[in-house]
Amino acid sequence: MDQAIEKILALIWSPFNALEELIAEWLPGQEVAALIAYGVYVLIILAGGFMAIGSRNLIRAMIGLVLTFLGVAGLYLLLASPFLAFMQVLIYVGAVCVLIFFAIMLTRNTNEGEESKLPGIGSALYGLLAFLLPLAVLGPLIVKNVPKLTLQSYGQTETRLLGEGLITQDVFSFELISIILLVAMAGAVFLAWRRRPTPEDPPQPKTGSAPSLSTKGGAQK
Amino acid sequence: MTTLTLFLLASLLLLSIGLAGLITRRTLVGMLISVELMLNGAGLAIVAAAKCTPASEVHGQLAALFVMGLAAAEATLVLAMILVVQRRFGKVTLDEVSSIRANDSAGGH
Repeated sequence: MDQAIEKILALIWSPFNALEELIAEWLPGQEVAALIAYGVYVLIILAGGFMAIGSRNLIRAMIGLVLTFLGVAGLYLLLASPFLAFMQVLIYVGAVCVLIFFAIMLTRNTNEGEESKLPGIGSALYGLLAFLLPLAVLGPLIVKNVPKLTLQSYGQTETRLLGEGLITQDVFSFELISIILLVAMAGAVFLAWRRRPTPEDPPQPKTGSAPSLSTKGGAQK
Repeated sequence: MTTLTLFLLASLLLLSIGLAGLITRRTLVGMLISVELMLNGAGLAIVAAAKCTPASEVHGQLAALFVMGLAAAEATLVLAMILVVQRRFGKVTLDEVSSIRANDSAGGH
């Protein structure tokens, strides 16, 4: 009975073992499990990326974007950089995607919007060209010219070192990015500010689809 | 095929997909999504290059963090711009926006 179970298990595992041998033969000296994980993450990135640029519904495109971000977070984990993977999920999935969701919803651009039409033949051709050109130019460069190096250290990058770097060697960049974030936030609030009409204002002409730019009034105040 | 090559190929893939999306998308929101894809590829390339070469890995990861911060700032600003364009033109399609602007400047706004 036990032998039968072992035989069945061996039968189930045999394709995986064969795959492992195949990969070990193809790429000697690499961690096979890491390579399989890499393949899975790249597949996730590919599926998410094509969903993000190809879907006719912008909400679906955003879901594809989330999928891609998660795949890249997995690649950061493979690079033994867990803090970056965490930040990737926190910033991109948590913040940027919510912003994009707001943008989609505020422009009422879901499935009956402008993106629901297929791109024209010329636009599709240019898109194909833009997809293939970087691959054709940079791909051979990367494959041929990247020096033969392995991971410098297999250990995790300590978060403590990142924090130390932020307050010692990169303190200027840190302050700069703080100012950029502040300016971007202030600019966004200023741009999107809708001034409430006061009683002494002349009534605004109702043009329906093209209301006047409200920030102009805010700038004069 | 080294580790660095594999990761750089993944980031190259992100760049290609983002470029294709930037060209085929019609609306500003779709283009924002494509730009985020490309920025993500840039961050991945920076981290991989810092981790797999004798360069300082802390420096590389901090640079990727700055790229993330820039992407967040950029997304905020683009959201505000999209709001303004939507309010002004009623649409966020690129062709629509450029043609209306031409008409509008003739009208002396």
